[in-house]
Amino acid sequence: MSFMPRHILEERIGDFGRPVHADHLTVLRRPAIASVLAGGPVEALSGMAEVSLRPVGPGQWLAVSQSLPGSLLAESLAAALAGLGAHVVDQSDGFVLMHIAGPNVRRILAKCIAVDLHGDVFAIGQAAAMMCCHVAANVARVGADAFEIAVPRSYADDVFEEIVEMGREFSLTSAFDDA
Amino acid sequence: MSAFRLSHGGLVDRSRGIGFRFDGDDLRGYEGDTLASALLASDRLLVGRSFKYHRPRGIVTAGSAEPNALLTIGTGARSEANTRATVQELYDGLVAKSQNRWPSLKHDFGAINGLLSPFLGAGFYYKTFMWPAAFWEKVYEPMIRRAAGLGRAVMEADPDRYEKAWAHCDLLVIGAGPAGLMAALTAARAGARVILADEGFRLGGSLLSERVSIGNAAAADFVRDVLQELASLDTVTLMPRTTVFGWYDDNVFGAVEKVQKHLASPSPDLPVERLWRIAAKAAILASGAEERPLVFGGNDRPGVMMASAARTYLNRFGVGAGRKVAVFTNGGSGYQAARDLASQGAEIAAIIDGRASAGEAMPAGTRMIVNAGVTKTLGRHRIEGLVVERSGHEETIDCDALLMSGGWSPVIHLACQRGAKPVWSEELQAFVAPDVGPRLWLAGSAAGLSGIGDCLRDGSAKALDCLAALGKPGSAPEMPEVEGEYDAGFAPLWYVPGARDKAFVDFQNDVHVRDLSLAQREGFGHIEHTKRYTTLGMATDQGKLGNVNTVGIVAGMRGVSPAEIGTTTFRPFYTPVSFGAMAGTARAERARPTRTSPLHGWAKKNGAQFVDAGLWFRSAWFPQSGEKGWRQSVDREVLAVRANVGLCDVSTLGKIEVFGRDAAEFLNRVYSNAMLKLPVGRARYGLMLREDGMVYDDGTVSRFAEDHFLITTTTAYATEAMAHLEFCAQALWPNLDVRFVSVSDQWAQMSLVGPKARLVLEKIVEDDVSNAAFPFLAARAVTLKGGLKARLFRISFSGELAYELAVPANYGEAVADVLMEAGRPHDICPYGVEALNVMRIEKGHVTHAEIDGRTTPDDLGLGKMFAASKPDFIGKRLSSRFGLTAADRLQLVGLRPVDKAKELTAGAHLLKEGAKPSMANDQGHVTSVCFSPVLGRSIGLALLKSGRERYGEKIVVWDKLRGHDEIVAEVCSPVFVDPENSKLHQ
Repeated sequence: MSFMPRHILEERIGDFGRPVHADHLTVLRRPAIASVLAGGPVEALSGMAEVSLRPVGPGQWLAVSQSLPGSLLAESLAAALAGLGAHVVDQSDGFVLMHIAGPNVRRILAKCIAVDLHGDVFAIGQAAAMMCCHVAANVARVGADAFEIAVPRSYADDVFEEIVEMGREFSLTSAFDDA
Repeated sequence: MSAFRLSHGGLVDRSRGIGFRFDGDDLRGYEGDTLASALLASDRLLVGRSFKYHRPRGIVTAGSAEPNALLTIGTGARSEANTRATVQELYDGLVAKSQNRWPSLKHDFGAINGLLSPFLGAGFYYKTFMWPAAFWEKVYEPMIRRAAGLGRAVMEADPDRYEKAWAHCDLLVIGAGPAGLMAALTAARAGARVILADEGFRLGGSLLSERVSIGNAAAADFVRDVLQELASLDTVTLMPRTTVFGWYDDNVFGAVEKVQKHLASPSPDLPVERLWRIAAKAAILASGAEERPLVFGGNDRPGVMMASAARTYLNRFGVGAGRKVAVFTNGGSGYQAARDLASQGAEIAAIIDGRASAGEAMPAGTRMIVNAGVTKTLGRHRIEGLVVERSGHEETIDCDALLMSGGWSPVIHLACQRGAKPVWSEELQAFVAPDVGPRLWLAGSAAGLSGIGDCLRDGSAKALDCLAALGKPGSAPEMPEVEGEYDAGFAPLWYVPGARDKAFVDFQNDVHVRDLSLAQREGFGHIEHTKRYTTLGMATDQGKLGNVNTVGIVAGMRGVSPAEIGTTTFRPFYTPVSFGAMAGTARAERARPTRTSPLHGWAKKNGAQFVDAGLWFRSAWFPQSGEKGWRQSVDREVLAVRANVGLCDVSTLGKIEVFGRDAAEFLNRVYSNAMLKLPVGRARYGLMLREDGMVYDDGTVSRFAEDHFLITTTTAYATEAMAHLEFCAQALWPNLDVRFVSVSDQWAQMSLVGPKARLVLEKIVEDDVSNAAFPFLAARAVTLKGGLKARLFRISFSGELAYELAVPANYGEAVADVLMEAGRPHDICPYGVEALNVMRIEKGHVTHAEIDGRTTPDDLGLGKMFAASKPDFIGKRLSSRFGLTAADRLQLVGLRPVDKAKELTAGAHLLKEGAKPSMANDQGHVTSVCFSPVLGRSIGLALLKSGRERYGEKIVVWDKLRGHDEIVAEVCSPVFVDPENSKLHQ
């Protein structure tokens, strides 16, 4: 038997032939995401080049990788943390990862997020848990004008729709990464 | 013809004409006009009718304090009532209508109220409309509301978009007049992140109305240069058309930006208004000062206007308020207005000064009447003259405009919105803001200064203070020379004696001096009481113009200083804010976020009807063709599941992974039943209590490893339970090694239920799921055929053989499809929460209908889940208190009507047979009911006093509050189906 995964935004985004403007939202179809729970620091993971570790709260991180498959990420993290009293949970299906970038990205996100996203305050490489469109999200700055937003899957439809609505002013476009 | 447009001057573009409509008349203005300036330029002095007496009213101010010129702008669903013409930007095609008049503005039937005014004093309706009492709600109140009032809201849905946004800065400058501009410039040059917000559509504040030169340039050019520099810096955000309306905790300011209120057809890609929350490290309030009216007889006649407003219309909009202008003043502002108007060719009929000696020099020939007061104005829909009185000698003077100036009040509202009370300054004869801490500073006229040069310097100085506090040193820009300033000093004149017509203190609410007197006489002397009794300072202008005069006059009536009277309370919003802006996009179905189950698509293609369950949409039932009504579908689903097999989406339940060396100990303390020795690979039903011993939530606990559990919560309490666990771990037992994370979204979970469930499951699960290998309450990771990793739990909410299969959410729909296919030979049936609910009632399982915060485990028949032998757990201590062990507590029972055809209703009360319905005789209530297709009758669960001892008793089910007849029901065990649990273990 083979089961085909279905992304929650499949129906909303559709397939190919969507325009790409300067301000664009990319939905990553199959990112690998895992929750890392640990009592102490997780320096053991700093060597994992393909993994971005994003703080969620005390002793909790969201590990994100766009190259490793979902289950492999959780396994390699668990292996790297073995014996350190840490725990890893695969959450690749639990979150939807959106990459939003463009010259007006901060002006768009100012309508979704209460946190100050100015580069002096929230620098490239930083990530934090924050509300995005009334939903608990993890937001990371991945470039001067680029952010990644991870939201729980069940809310993703709602958050996506709201971000796109807030982007109308700047003709924000959206598509899957493999479109 | 009195008010008129000058041929030149001002900041309007005479090459760009704009057509608009007022009460059906086509009029024209220019780009840069407000609606008010365009109306004045067209000599439309009469623009509205007053609230109570329907007196003719004209434009009084040129800003946001306007009490009279309130118009309905727009048509159809875009109509907006009570728009102040003085701040409404003129646009091509604008349609404005006057309000509170019938049949027309000129001939208003309601003006008869003016004749009845002796009977309509403050509070008249409390005294007059007392009998019969029943008339108040149905007759009097609707009648009064119709007769009085402002514009009407339209009942059509608002077609426009609104947004909400956040902004952050080092320094927020509120007001772009002289102080605000210099503050912003000083801070911006020091590299600070600055937001400069101003309610006007053109930044510059009072400088746009001045004829002074600043640094050898016209004031407007100075403004342009400063703004150009500010706009060139990417650390500066200029926000015109933005009213900062409130100051909130943590130095967050509320502001509303009118993005497209100046366009006839707004772009659908932009909001019409945007609500800003501005988080500022520091803020400077440079909101200027408001000129006070004078309170004299007939001071509300159209054509009577604030002196500063007349200067604004003249200098900014190129509109003369009149050709023969009288001035009534107690300070320099009135003289300056006279000078400005005279320089443009207006005749000055007289300057009447309430002070004992003349303030300033005027051009030769100007008539000056000092130590005098106006007692009456002449004319009907516009002023034609006035009566001035000095020492008992009266004189009539012709004029077509009367400018008044009663001094100045700093605009300090924002600074006093968080509890600080304004302080009376004898020196300034005005209320000023007290020290409100280091994060909000007042600058310029808002801080009591009057000269433009002083305001420029003060803005810069305050910005430097802010920068120092933020650790960003700056330096003051070079201060330009200001030429042509006037002395705005004044002497107080609260009450002008000898009024021969009503002397209004509050134009908008038609409150005049005699109303204030009445309030004093009748014991409403405290200024807050005076306000409520007379309605002064209410409605859209919130007393911006009149309140200070009220305080001064009441102080005079009582023979005390205004300091003793104080002000009423300042609260947000500074000016009215639309509900649309406050709602933003959160309206209709988007009023809150929605959550989508991973099996939503599966349910949809199987024809589900959905129901709101918190933020979720859950599949409620799956109608088939030919079925009439939901009950028929639900009955079929229940029978099919109990006979064969059914599939139900249970993904919405909360799922939390619990890890750690002490995870078992932690859960043992959180749940009331024993968890310590739960074997790996097994699941157990668990009950959480609150500290007070009441049941909090229920769910299952599965153990995957010694230090790894998965717990489930109810859908409703998923978030709360997670927060509860966090609290327990962080605050109660920080020494325990335990961590958790929600995986509610990671898994699609489906219930496969019914005697043939295993036959279906076997077809897709690789592992052995036989009764021996996977017994009741087994819980393990399994592999589906083809390799997909899943989790399988043998738990049941229906009493049937049942499994819950969890697969990664993105695979949920595909797995459910395959299960449906595999179940086809066994007549598999998708079912929803309605059938789920019927089956749990048949089996006597509880939900939050029974776990209502007032029930203990024993009340619910779950006493054996209270493990008293455990050393401690949440809820244990308080469970032994007297009330919780009483013998007559409500206990869970089943009910079945004696007459099989009758139907129970949830919420009905229980009474002993023959007992009179009363709270004293109340025996309990019905919590859940359903029609049981298995039993072919209505059944229910109820909480009944000492219920378990009363099986077999007949009891009256009473629900007459909702119009249902009494039903006699038999009390029975809450388990209606398979009480021996034989099906669970098949």
